[in-house]
Amino acid sequence: MLSLTGSAYKNCDGFTRRNFLQVGAPLLGLGLSDILRSESNAKNDGTPVNRKSLIVFWTHGGMSQQDTYDMKPDSPPEYRGMYQPIQTTQSDIIVSERFPMQAKVMDLLAQVRSVHHENGIHAPSAHWMQTGFFGPTLARIAAQRPSFGSVISRAMGPWQRQMPAYVTVPKSEAFGYQGSVYLGKSHNPFEVGGNPNAKDFKVPNLSLPGGLTVKNVQSRRFLLGKFDTLRRDIDTTEVMDGLDTFKARAMEMIAGERVRKAFDISQEDPQLRDRYGRHQYGQSALLARRLVEAGTRCVTINTGYWDHHNEIEKGLEEHLPPLDRAIWALVDDLKQRGMLDDVVIYCSGEFGRTPLMNGHAGRDHWSNCFTVMLAGGGIQGGRVVGASEKHGGGVKERLATPLDVIATIYHALGIPLGTHYEDSTGRPVSIVDAGRPILELM
Amino acid sequence: MACCRDRSKPAVSIEHVSLGEHHQHLDPFSSEASVAIDFLRRFTVHSRCNNLFAPHLRWVRTAPVFAVAVGLTALLYTDRHAVAEQPLLDVVPDKVRLFPDDSQQLLIRIGDQAQQDVTDQVTLLSRDPKIAAITAQGTVRGRQPGQTVIEIKWDGQTSEIPVIVGANEQRPPLRFSSDIVPVLTKLGCNSGGCHGKATGQGQFKLSLLGFDPHLDYLALVKQARGRRLFPSAPERSLLLLKATAQMPHGGGRRLNILDDDYRILKQWIATGSRGPNPTEASLERIEVTPQRQTLKPESRQQLLVTAYYSNGESQDVTRRTIYQSNQQELASVSKSGRIETTSQPGLFSVMARFGGKIATFHAAVPYANDAQQQQQIASRLASLEVASQDSRFDRLLIQQWRQLGILPSAAAADHKFIRRVTIDICGTLPTREEVEAYINDKSEDKREQLINRLLERPEYANYFALKWADILQNRGSGYSTSKQRTGTSLFSRWIRDSIGENKPYDQFVTEIITGSGSQLENPPTIWHRHVRTLPDYVESVAQAFLGVRIQCAQCHHHPFERWSQADYYGLAAVFSRVGRKGGFADAEVPTNETIFLRDTGTVLHPRTQEVIAPRALGGPDFSLERYDDPRIHLARWMTQRDNPFLARTMVNRLWAHFMGRGIIHPIDDARSTNPPSNPALLEALSQDFVEHGYDIKHTIGIICNSLAYRLDSAPHDLNKHDRQTFARFYPRRLTAEVLLDAISQVLAVPTEFNGGPGKFPAGTRAIELPDENVPVHFLDVFGRPARDSACECERVDSPALSQALELVNSELLQSKLSAKEGYVAKLAAQKLATEQKVADVFLRTFGRNPQSGELDTAIQFLKDADPIEGYRSLIWALLATNEFMFNH
Repeated sequence: MLSLTGSAYKNCDGFTRRNFLQVGAPLLGLGLSDILRSESNAKNDGTPVNRKSLIVFWTHGGMSQQDTYDMKPDSPPEYRGMYQPIQTTQSDIIVSERFPMQAKVMDLLAQVRSVHHENGIHAPSAHWMQTGFFGPTLARIAAQRPSFGSVISRAMGPWQRQMPAYVTVPKSEAFGYQGSVYLGKSHNPFEVGGNPNAKDFKVPNLSLPGGLTVKNVQSRRFLLGKFDTLRRDIDTTEVMDGLDTFKARAMEMIAGERVRKAFDISQEDPQLRDRYGRHQYGQSALLARRLVEAGTRCVTINTGYWDHHNEIEKGLEEHLPPLDRAIWALVDDLKQRGMLDDVVIYCSGEFGRTPLMNGHAGRDHWSNCFTVMLAGGGIQGGRVVGASEKHGGGVKERLATPLDVIATIYHALGIPLGTHYEDSTGRPVSIVDAGRPILELM
Repeated sequence: MACCRDRSKPAVSIEHVSLGEHHQHLDPFSSEASVAIDFLRRFTVHSRCNNLFAPHLRWVRTAPVFAVAVGLTALLYTDRHAVAEQPLLDVVPDKVRLFPDDSQQLLIRIGDQAQQDVTDQVTLLSRDPKIAAITAQGTVRGRQPGQTVIEIKWDGQTSEIPVIVGANEQRPPLRFSSDIVPVLTKLGCNSGGCHGKATGQGQFKLSLLGFDPHLDYLALVKQARGRRLFPSAPERSLLLLKATAQMPHGGGRRLNILDDDYRILKQWIATGSRGPNPTEASLERIEVTPQRQTLKPESRQQLLVTAYYSNGESQDVTRRTIYQSNQQELASVSKSGRIETTSQPGLFSVMARFGGKIATFHAAVPYANDAQQQQQIASRLASLEVASQDSRFDRLLIQQWRQLGILPSAAAADHKFIRRVTIDICGTLPTREEVEAYINDKSEDKREQLINRLLERPEYANYFALKWADILQNRGSGYSTSKQRTGTSLFSRWIRDSIGENKPYDQFVTEIITGSGSQLENPPTIWHRHVRTLPDYVESVAQAFLGVRIQCAQCHHHPFERWSQADYYGLAAVFSRVGRKGGFADAEVPTNETIFLRDTGTVLHPRTQEVIAPRALGGPDFSLERYDDPRIHLARWMTQRDNPFLARTMVNRLWAHFMGRGIIHPIDDARSTNPPSNPALLEALSQDFVEHGYDIKHTIGIICNSLAYRLDSAPHDLNKHDRQTFARFYPRRLTAEVLLDAISQVLAVPTEFNGGPGKFPAGTRAIELPDENVPVHFLDVFGRPARDSACECERVDSPALSQALELVNSELLQSKLSAKEGYVAKLAAQKLATEQKVADVFLRTFGRNPQSGELDTAIQFLKDADPIEGYRSLIWALLATNEFMFNH
């Protein structure tokens, strides 16, 4: 199938790659600053390339804090739930018995046990946790703010320009609030589109079809740059801008091997794949590692639906062990590769779940106080910031807003917190507003 | 008044006054001058006229008003006596009556139409602050019984508003339903995330958004052994301690002890916490002042909200109302009802909500054009108006552009128009021959002829059948046997035939809603295949045919509309006797069922458990005989000439199809709080549709012949911000099926479709596929909908990397480019000059000749390239341009 005629970056038909960028890319809608930034990322002029990136485990639907990170063993049974706590490497930290693997690396993981916001419905809460801002009140109202992944994509770009900056596995979730909104559609996530644990996992259209060569693609790209002259200001919906950027990126992806290799999880050592676990959580985490290693900035893993109103034990038995293994394996793998200081790991959903079990042996939505987990990228492991009240419920100390958590991530990645982006009216909007990074984690 | 006129002559520079589009210099003694003087006179009159949107007032513009204001200020300075009689300031209300601690918002405006809000710019002073205080934002607050006066100073003018503060003893008691519940709503206590959710929160449950005051009263006063309220020391009530976070509260601090809302709750507890009382006055409506206003960019407007009760009382509830702007890009609104507009011109509205009642403020923010631009716009619009003599629809468009100071784009060139209209009517790219014939056609009515020809083509029926199959959820997924495909094919063919024969829309809808019998024999009954439950019926009918979203009302009163649970379940009751028998179920959805009317079937109100009679949306109960089919009554109601929903929804849907945006947007979300951008136009189109017997082709003809549809898509300085008034053509990407067919047509290689029982016949086009269960990756990535709902919004055009990869790198496109029998191979083999070949490629793809630069690039490129691959690359490049991928 592949008929690459040259190595990834070699010029193939008369102009160098640099010329190619200068000639082709601006016409394809990449702004000059994007190109300069990518260039500076790619070249080695003494300034180190910032390789910071983020991997997110998004517990879509809302994971119970009380059955995982914030155990309440001394509460009455209707609060305590069905799991026993276990010791971790840190004498002062206990976690659920369903997190035995993370317990072994608790010196590398941090928790914020006092995250609080004021909505208990999936869609607005997902908007809040994904963007930092309260937003739509009815499920079908469009997103109002960009997701943190899109902000990261816009602020940093990929650290190797062929790679998509922001990827979701297997696809975007959070009720549609993982997008870019006014940051431009090119900062929407690239959806992998399949389960990395599937035998036949393959990202569509990443390999060249029969008869097409890299050289052909480059000629086509040159011509497209020449003929695609329709005025861009006739479209105010940003569909054109988005397509332009994606076309440019698609052709770069095709022309290089980096992207195909990064997505090809079968190149990974089978023993390592086993370590991550042969399930969607594990293989998604492994794929995420491959992607950030190759140049992606943010990978959000949307695996499983955690909305356990009924029979929570049944749901958690299915989700907790694979999540536990995936996080453990990822942290361990990154550490062994010397990448842990560059990669922030974040586990959160739109809210936690009620401390008090309901009449259906489940837990309902709870945003008053819940826990998120952070690790890597300069975040100090073995720490717990904030605390919940005796039986859960409210914040006892160190309330953290969604924006505080997001500001912490930006801070760890090196995005200046004073960054503003213009919304569709041209008004500069702060990326963190009143949010302040949780410096106790650093 | 006569004195005004006399005095105005020397003081006002009349030559700066412009009238209408005619911008003449006036002879001060002519009759036109007297109109201008009359204008000045009215400028000084205490006026509350809000009908700035009325056509006869369209000449009120920034620049002349300013010129007049300068002259007028001079005039007023010369005669202080006249000022006292004719206050320049418009103050609402003109006197204030309230009780200690109550507040009343003032609205202070200037201008002949009171069009400029200066509430927070005037100097405000209470003569006796011990009686009543006034804030810089214009809120009067009662302090102790007595009388005083608020002095308002602005630019040398003074107005005085008397204030009477009554004694507490005379204060009417607080009413639970209309005073207390709205507080709980504004604070968010009864929202779906807190105590309003089905399970309540912390053992405390309120009705969602306060639609059941009785339940709320019980929860507050009786439940939890009455510990939530503490009448002897109201401030120590659990309710207040929690809400102010003096005691731990999961919901955090919602209330400050200095807030009006706190005071109201406390006072209610202190005065005996009376419950809802059916005999007491109820809240009838709220009114927002002003209701309509023309605003400047980056300006402010205070709203005033007044509640009216059934006993004739009224009170100011400005600070207790919830506000929401429908266009954040144009305006934001504060908790106290103050609007701030952004720099962007356009139309927006603000919804005000209090005690379950809603009122809407409508605003227009015109372009801030200079005098020369105004003149340019006026003369261009005047000539357009002359050219549109016989189209009332065009006149309504022009009227709106004039109000907003927008200059529409120029008319689109012929080659663009034929491409645009062929794609929009037939979902098909015009051929080179069609484009050339149209350009060379010299007849005056060639546009009308073209539109009529297109409407008679089978592609029109196919393309619109695809649209309706989405809306009617003709789904094929979930099963794969021949029997099921038979069903979707039958339904799809029935829709296509109905559209092709131009079946009147009222009949089309009636046949779908009332259909009974075997799905094999009466295809419209296949609609029931995916619309199965009562919520499915209600939501599909409401969204597809009535243009409203009523989902909210399944569980509670729609917060932004009048729809109640009674409306929802009344419509559900229409379908409660739909029965099914037979059918072949090899998957989750059975097929080949027989739809019939059962003898029984009732719907209960989920709260009151009363049987709800079948009822039209917002309409009266049907008078049904024992064996009547309620669906027939519903269809009859929907298709009455004066039905407010059906025709409006359809013409709006058609308008959105051709214009890229509905007059009501989104098209299925009509409500008073989401007003049409051009109400007169929507009304005219809708009336015309009914008058012409629900003739769809007729209305399509109107829309395609309209001025707006003929405009170029390129904006200029005087309409670049326009996204609502159709002052240029709004481009959009070709939809998935149309794009694939267009590529197949250019390359002369049809797509092979496999699905269900086998292959579709060779030459089948994507727009002809009966259902979505035909796996084609190209169609999925470009936004083919899954037909999960009746919402056209399921079809998306958002760009994605996967789309780009499909273009750059897919087997599908590459095989079409490489096909032996395809256009590329034939073109490469032809013995023609390269120049001619390139011209053919451009005409075939873009419907135009190459420009000289493009021709040179192509020839240069082909000279050095592989003979066949060169043409492949050239054509690929054109197919991947925005010029090809968009209808523009």
